[in-house]
Amino acid sequence: MSKTTALEISNISKKFERPGRPTIEALRDINLSVKQGEFVSIVGASGSGKSTLLRIVDGLTQATGGTVSVNGKIVTRPGKDRAVVFQQDSLLPWKTVIDNVAYGLAINGVSRREREQTARHFINVSGLQGFESHFPHQLSGGMRQRVNVARALAVSPDILLLDEPFAALDAQTREVMQTELLRIWEEEKKTVVLITHQIDEAVFLSDRVVVFSARPGQIREEIEIELPRPRDLEVKRSATFVAYVDHIWKLIEQEVRMGMKS
Amino acid sequence: MTFWARTYDFLQGDSRTSSLVRVAFSVAVVLLIWEILTATVVTNRLLLVPPLEVFAALGRELANGNVWTNGVATGVALLVSFPVAVFIGVAGGLILASNRLFSLTAGPMLMALYSVPVVALAPLFIAWLGLGFASKFVIVSLVAVFPVLVTTEVGLRATDKALVDAARSFNANGWQIFTTVTLPYALPYVVSGVRVAWARALVGIVVAEFFGSFAGFGFAILAAGQTFDTATLLAYVILLGAMGVIGSLVFESAERRLAPWRHE
Repeated sequence: MSKTTALEISNISKKFERPGRPTIEALRDINLSVKQGEFVSIVGASGSGKSTLLRIVDGLTQATGGTVSVNGKIVTRPGKDRAVVFQQDSLLPWKTVIDNVAYGLAINGVSRREREQTARHFINVSGLQGFESHFPHQLSGGMRQRVNVARALAVSPDILLLDEPFAALDAQTREVMQTELLRIWEEEKKTVVLITHQIDEAVFLSDRVVVFSARPGQIREEIEIELPRPRDLEVKRSATFVAYVDHIWKLIEQEVRMGMKS
Repeated sequence: MTFWARTYDFLQGDSRTSSLVRVAFSVAVVLLIWEILTATVVTNRLLLVPPLEVFAALGRELANGNVWTNGVATGVALLVSFPVAVFIGVAGGLILASNRLFSLTAGPMLMALYSVPVVALAPLFIAWLGLGFASKFVIVSLVAVFPVLVTTEVGLRATDKALVDAARSFNANGWQIFTTVTLPYALPYVVSGVRVAWARALVGIVVAEFFGSFAGFGFAILAAGQTFDTATLLAYVILLGAMGVIGSLVFESAERRLAPWRHE
């Protein structure tokens, strides 16, 4: 597989101007490039602008400075080459599972037959068989996030952007979802950018973990995770894994402490 | 489980039979209290008559065709003015929700009009528009329009931001966001406004017919009252009550169907 650059983030900065109140500098000079098929996680203290960066990459939020390019093309708005899995329950409550999964395809004008086929495929991939005609409120939190993932995959994006997708789930469900995500990633060969505040989640899933500083968000350190793949939950007990987590945890702890003083 | 526990569970259940049993039970209790009242406390038949006499009066009015004549007058006025009120209310709500400045400017005035009992102006409308359909139309539309307008705006503004973000992330344009997110999200709000509007419309039509008409349920009630025909008066009140209950049930089930996730 060729290792071309899928995502290039150059000199991104973001300031939120608020009339009558001090301007917030959320991101300062972010440079990051992600290779095709790579799994990169961004961790950092809360308020470090991680989610803002993800929104900028998707095109939902405009940066104050710098550019994002996907496969060499500069991003100005959301596009078919990217899809987001949000943390909150962003499923349409009046649509069934299958219609929710097909939603992005419907927006992009795909014919009913084709989008039903595609939706069924990703329902199977995400382990949602048998729940096609359920409504979101009839599903557990974990199942709803599966639908969210399936909906993002259905538009066949090159890059999957995950914004703390498992933060609202209980610990056991989260671990199951992590292994599921790894399996899907290995099958679908997507480029993934994951925002999370769970350090072990980042280390377990990623090829590379990017640590953000406290506000304004800057890249503090990038750590290549050289754990063998495919990984299973056993790896979380290995000494290397624990060492990675420990190292990242210390970086973030420093940032949090500094943030509290200022 | 004991017999009583099982009965209790059945009665508070969601099945159609248990809700029918509940309705039958509450109707029976009201009729019983009514019957006892007429037999003991209010024995003056000019003031209150027992339920059976009311039903006899209802049968008489059905047989001589008066219910039909009055029903057509009231029904036509409602069937024309109520949809118009809903349409104007929804359109107004859309305009207000689409523009912050409109909403801020018109909002307080609309709130004031919503709270004012518009039926109090009924004599004035009748003076302007004369007796008959035109004044009924204006009064009913005016009382029914505000609940729809207010809830439509609230519903359109209530849209979950996360859902809009999700739609935008799939590259949805403004119109697609409106039709696939904002509007479906607002619909149950609109329907609940319509439900309130229906109850107000029934009050509006009766008041309009009290003051100025030659036919209709309100006219019949006033006429029966002036001839101390209490049984007939109550017969028409029962018909109005039935219209209110039926409307309420219809809109409630529409609400449930449009937004099943809000009822669990």
